[in-house]
Amino acid sequence: MTVLSSHMRADHRACDDEFANMENVVAEGNWDKASEVFENFASDLNHHFDMEEDVMFPAFEARGAGHCNPTPVMIMEHTQMRNVLKQMREDIKSQNKDHFFGLSETLMMTIQQHNMKEEQMMYPMIDESLAHEGQMLLDEMKAYPRKDHK
Amino acid sequence: MYQGLSTNQAPPISVPFRFFLTAPIFGILIGLLVFTSSPQTILNQYSHTTIGLVHLFTLGVLSMIIIGALQQMLPVLASAVIKKPLLFANIIHTSLTLGTLCLSGGFIYSQKYLLIAGAILLSIALTMFFFTIIKLLFKVKYLTSTVSAMKIFSIAGLITIILGLYLSGSHIGDNIGSLHYIFVDSHILFGIFGFATIIIMGVAFQVIPMFYVAPDLPQYIQTKFPRIILGMLILFLIFSLLQLDIFGIKVVFALALSLFAIYSIKSLNNRRRPVFDVTLWYWKISLISLILSMWLYIYYSNHLILPILIGFGFLYPILQGMIYKIVPFLSWFHLNSKGYFIIPTLREFIKEDNIKVQLYIYLSSVFSFVLSVLLSEIFLYIGAGLFIVSNILLLINIAVAAKKYHQISLTDPMAAFK
Repeated sequence: MTVLSSHMRADHRACDDEFANMENVVAEGNWDKASEVFENFASDLNHHFDMEEDVMFPAFEARGAGHCNPTPVMIMEHTQMRNVLKQMREDIKSQNKDHFFGLSETLMMTIQQHNMKEEQMMYPMIDESLAHEGQMLLDEMKAYPRKDHK
Repeated sequence: MYQGLSTNQAPPISVPFRFFLTAPIFGILIGLLVFTSSPQTILNQYSHTTIGLVHLFTLGVLSMIIIGALQQMLPVLASAVIKKPLLFANIIHTSLTLGTLCLSGGFIYSQKYLLIAGAILLSIALTMFFFTIIKLLFKVKYLTSTVSAMKIFSIAGLITIILGLYLSGSHIGDNIGSLHYIFVDSHILFGIFGFATIIIMGVAFQVIPMFYVAPDLPQYIQTKFPRIILGMLILFLIFSLLQLDIFGIKVVFALALSLFAIYSIKSLNNRRRPVFDVTLWYWKISLISLILSMWLYIYYSNHLILPILIGFGFLYPILQGMIYKIVPFLSWFHLNSKGYFIIPTLREFIKEDNIKVQLYIYLSSVFSFVLSVLLSEIFLYIGAGLFIVSNILLLINIAVAAKKYHQISLTDPMAAFK
C-alpha cells in the first residue's frame, strides 16, 4: 500500500507549482497579488508540515520508528523552512525583490533536499510500517485543520 | 537504516569544501603546463606530457570534484553514510592530491619513482573510495534510478582503476605489449563514459528536478541508459580484443548520450521556476558540448577537438555549475542547523555577477583551445592564459563563500537575539 506516500508526493509537487507561481508574480512586481499568492503557498506548505508533524509522524513513531528515529530531523528542517517563510513575508511587505529571490532560492533548495529524503527514504518506511492504517491516516490528514503560523 | 536522514550524519562542511577548493588549483597547474610546453608536445595525444596533463585533469579536477561531492550527496541521495567522514576525507584527499601530482609528474618528467609513488597513492585513494561506496550502495534498501546509476558508476570506476594500474605497471616496467593500446582505449572509455558520464547522468536524474524544479527525465532513460552504457563498455573491450568492428558500439554511445542530453535540455527549458539562474548556462553548455562531441566521436574519434569538447566543454562546466549550487547551500544549511538566524541568502554567498565573469572567461578559454586545433597554435597560449584566470576566479568564488561561512561560524549564534 502506498496511499500515504502517493498523496504526500503529490502534495510536494502541488507546493512546487504554487512556489513557482509565487515567484512569477513577484518577478512581475505585482506586490498586491504577490502577498495573496505567498499566503496561499505558505498556508499549504505549513499544512503539509502540520499533517506530518501532528498525524503521520506520531503514528509512525507509535509503531516503532527504530533507535535512529528520523522524525526529529525532519521536524527540525520544517522549522528551518518556516523561519525562511517568515523572512520572505517581511520582504514582500517591504517589496525587497532582490532579497526575496535570495530567500526563495534558499527555501527552494531546502525544500527539495528535504523532499528527496522524505520521498526516497522516509515515505517508503512509513508505507511499510503503516500499511494497514494508511487510508484511515490519510483521511485524518486531509481533514486536519489549518493552523495560523504567521 | 534511518541514518541517512539525519543531518548529524552528513559530513562536516570541510569535507566537500577541501575537494572543491583543490580542483581549481589543479586547473591552474594544467594552464601553466600548457603555457610552458611546446604546442607540438601538447597537441600530440600520445606524448608523455599530454598523458600527464590528461591525468591532472581527470584525477586532479574531475575526480576531485566528483569524490568530494559524493561524500556529501551519498547520505542525502542514497541514505548511505560513510563512517568517520573526516578521517576518510583526509586519507582520500591527501592520497588523491599527492598521487595525481606524482603520477602526472612521473609522466611529464619521465621519472619512474614518481610513477610508482603515484600508482601506489592513487590505488589507496581510489580503491578505498570505491570499495567503501560499493559496500554502502549495495546495501541500500530503497532503490532509485540515481542509486542504480551510482552502483554502475562504482563498478565502472573500479574497472577504470584496474586498467589504469595495469597501464601504469606497463610504463613502470617498460613493458608495452601488443594489447597496450586496446587497454589504453578501454581505460579512456571506462573513465569518460563509465566513471564520469554515468555519475553525471545519475546525479542529473535527481538534481535537474531538484535544483531547477523541472520535469523528471523519461523513466526509460533513468533506468536503462546507465546499464546500456556499462554493457557497451564491456562489449567495446571484448570487440577490441577480438579485433571486431566497433562502429555499432560508437553509434549506441552517441545515441544514448545525445538522447540523455536532449531530454535534459528539454527538462531544463520546461522548468517551472522563472528566475534567472546562471548555473543553468553551465548545464546547457555541457549538454550541448556532449551532443556535439558524440557526433564527432562517431566519425572523427581521433580528432583533437574531441577531448577538448568532452573534457572542457562537457565534463568540467557541469561540475562547476554543481559546485556553485552546492557550496552556498551547504554554507547556509550548516549555519542554519547550528542555530544561526542571520545568514546571507544563497545568492549572497557567491555573487551571480562574479560567477558570470568566471563563466565568460572559462568559455573563452574553451573556444581558444578549439581554435588552437583549427587555426593557429597561438590560441593554445591564449587558451591556457584564460584557463588559468578562470580557475583562479573559480577558486576565489568558492573561497569567498567558505570565508563568509567561517566568519559567521566564529560568532555567537544567539547574538542576534541579545
